[in-house]
Amino acid sequence: MTGVHDVPYLVVTIGCVAAVSFLSRASFAFLPESVKLPPRVQRSLRHAPVCALAAIVAPAIFTEHGASALSVHNYRIWAVLAAGAVFAKTRNMLAMMVVGMVVFTALRLA
Amino acid sequence: MAPATLALAAWGIVTGVAMVKGGLPVGVALVFSLVAYAGTAQLATLPLILLHAPWPLVMLTATFISLRFVIFAAGIRGAFVRLPLRQRLASAYFQGDLPFVLFSKRFGTVEHDGNETHWGFYYGAALTCFVVWHVAAVTGILLGSLAPTSWGLDLAAALAIIAVLIPMVTNVPAVVGLIVTSVLAVLTIRVPLRLGLLASIVFGLAAALAVETVLDRRTSPVIHTVETL
Repeated sequence: MTGVHDVPYLVVTIGCVAAVSFLSRASFAFLPESVKLPPRVQRSLRHAPVCALAAIVAPAIFTEHGASALSVHNYRIWAVLAAGAVFAKTRNMLAMMVVGMVVFTALRLA
Repeated sequence: MAPATLALAAWGIVTGVAMVKGGLPVGVALVFSLVAYAGTAQLATLPLILLHAPWPLVMLTATFISLRFVIFAAGIRGAFVRLPLRQRLASAYFQGDLPFVLFSKRFGTVEHDGNETHWGFYYGAALTCFVVWHVAAVTGILLGSLAPTSWGLDLAAALAIIAVLIPMVTNVPAVVGLIVTSVLAVLTIRVPLRLGLLASIVFGLAAALAVETVLDRRTSPVIHTVETL
């Protein structure tokens, strides 16, 4: 059974994501003015999203059907390299996505 | 602001498409998107929800991803801190990556003396993003099921996440965290219920913090001594 057909499960999980999302944004709205975030903690917190996003995105690119797919035939890797280069140069998210998808589609159809 | 909202619209469409292509029914995807208003956390928790992973795991993953908002909240708090709680919470609800970046670029850090200029700018940016995001996400959800899987639109979602990720990787500890987490996440892909995902985040974060501590000790011995006293 997938989560999609379990309605109470969907209510709980979607509720959790919504709650966490709001509470993190509102965290400092609740706290009195005297409570400050120490610079060290602030820098540590900065790494958490990097790791969380890497954990999501790396398997989406480097694995296929539940196994690692580090090969020249994995078009996603080429697409991501091209897109990353474009983004590093232009800082343009739209251009980056277009280039990545064009490279992927070109390789797929070639 | 215009190119930024264009990118946001693309990101919203991609998120909407990814949700229905992943297997969420259109109705559920609409509710999820409209209730959560959490693009990255939505995309990240989606595979977990589809796998029926335990809800605490879903919540933990969302928490890690949302931790950046704690920094944002601390960053813009000064402009709103003198307002009543209800207005502070309202400003928090509309918080997002883009409004934060735009606000910080324009005003830097505001120290407890927010005025109409700050609030006007903030809500102008935040409400624009709110509307653009929801319109784009709903469009993606409604049109997503029409696109064939072979187009690889899930790759577009991955690219969108990478665009959020790259600007955050600004120093050596972040690079270490990125690499350690990525390698572990790929190696643990067969671990049931994506528990490998959580483990990768925890170990990647630990590696980043360890490197940061070592580098701090080397570059600023004086500050470090003071801190340990």
